[in-house]
Amino acid sequence: MSKIRENLPGPADGQPLPAEPLTRVYEVFLQPTRNEPHVQVGSVNAADDQMALDFARETFGRRQACAHIWVVRRDHLVGTVYGEDFMERACDRGYREARGYQEVRRKWEQFRRKGDVDEYQKDDLKEAF
Amino acid sequence: MTSRKLSKPADLPDDLRPILADWLLAAADDVFLLGHRNSDWTGLAPMLEEDLAFSSIAQDEIAHAQAYYLLVSELTGQPPDKLAYGRSPVQYRCAHLVERTDDFDWARAVVRQFFYEHYGWLRLQRMVRSAYQPLAELSGKIAQEEKFHLEHLDDWAVRLGTGTDESRTRAQRAVDKLWPDALCLFEPVDGEQRLVEAAIFPSAGCDIRRAWFEEVSRVLDRAGLTVPSADGMDRSSCPPGGRRGVRSESFGELFAELAEVYRIEPDARW
Repeated sequence: MSKIRENLPGPADGQPLPAEPLTRVYEVFLQPTRNEPHVQVGSVNAADDQMALDFARETFGRRQACAHIWVVRRDHLVGTVYGEDFMERACDRGYREARGYQEVRRKWEQFRRKGDVDEYQKDDLKEAF
Repeated sequence: MTSRKLSKPADLPDDLRPILADWLLAAADDVFLLGHRNSDWTGLAPMLEEDLAFSSIAQDEIAHAQAYYLLVSELTGQPPDKLAYGRSPVQYRCAHLVERTDDFDWARAVVRQFFYEHYGWLRLQRMVRSAYQPLAELSGKIAQEEKFHLEHLDDWAVRLGTGTDESRTRAQRAVDKLWPDALCLFEPVDGEQRLVEAAIFPSAGCDIRRAWFEEVSRVLDRAGLTVPSADGMDRSSCPPGGRRGVRSESFGELFAELAEVYRIEPDARW
């Protein structure tokens, strides 16, 4: 521990806490690259919008890819209530889920990695012309 | 003035090389000591988010110092660690402002960094135009980070000035206390004019102290803080100070702590 630090004054006793909070919670959404969606990465305390952006940039933007940041005051977010969840369905409607599409990209990339695509296209072209 | 590009140490005129080394040490020592001072706030800043931000700024400053020491090392052949830790106090070239303790008064830490950032920014604007290419390139990279430091510190200066009575009082006290040191940031190292003439440290093309005063005043006005007198701004030179090896009384304690580990085994390989 720094010797200089030993001079640190302790918190003053008996000081009343401010009635209004000095800071508010902002949720932070980070976009890693321009082609990707913003994803919530955490939250910061800040006195105003500008400070929230500044803190978000310092806290979350420095050590990972970051093209863009949104900050939103948590009390400005409107959300559903757990337990009154209308999205929880009574009947099985699994057939309505478009789950298959989420897999397409992954499968396609896997396919492409194998180099099979080029082979396939070569054959394809042979047949067509 | 010369328009010739100097792309490596060997391209520099022999008589300018030691002056440039000395001048680079001033830039390096400033941010090295400031970074060290500010790192004392790690874990103690007013709020977690600022703790991260201020520590990151401190870390940036030390990285910048390391880069400057490397440039000096290329000129003098001395290893960077020795330059950073192994000189005697009179060989340091930092300004007195960066040596000052803040006594863990947040306002003073903010104002110290705020004054420095505006000075550092003006200096960088000249360095990016340097005829010495390694310096111009490095300065361009450093400026990208310093831009955010400047914004961050301007923001804090205004925040403290327009915050509570206590934050305002403390900020004003810090401004008044550090003002004389801030004016001496512009003290030249010996021979600096020669670097200006060689466009290695290109001329600002204006009164650089006046430019600093106007920038700082603009922010302090916005913060509702009183700008101390401009008397002394127009001095062509400061009395011999940090840039010429005269150390302030704050230096001893700081240096003892800073070089404590290095001194145990100066030749240790890390």
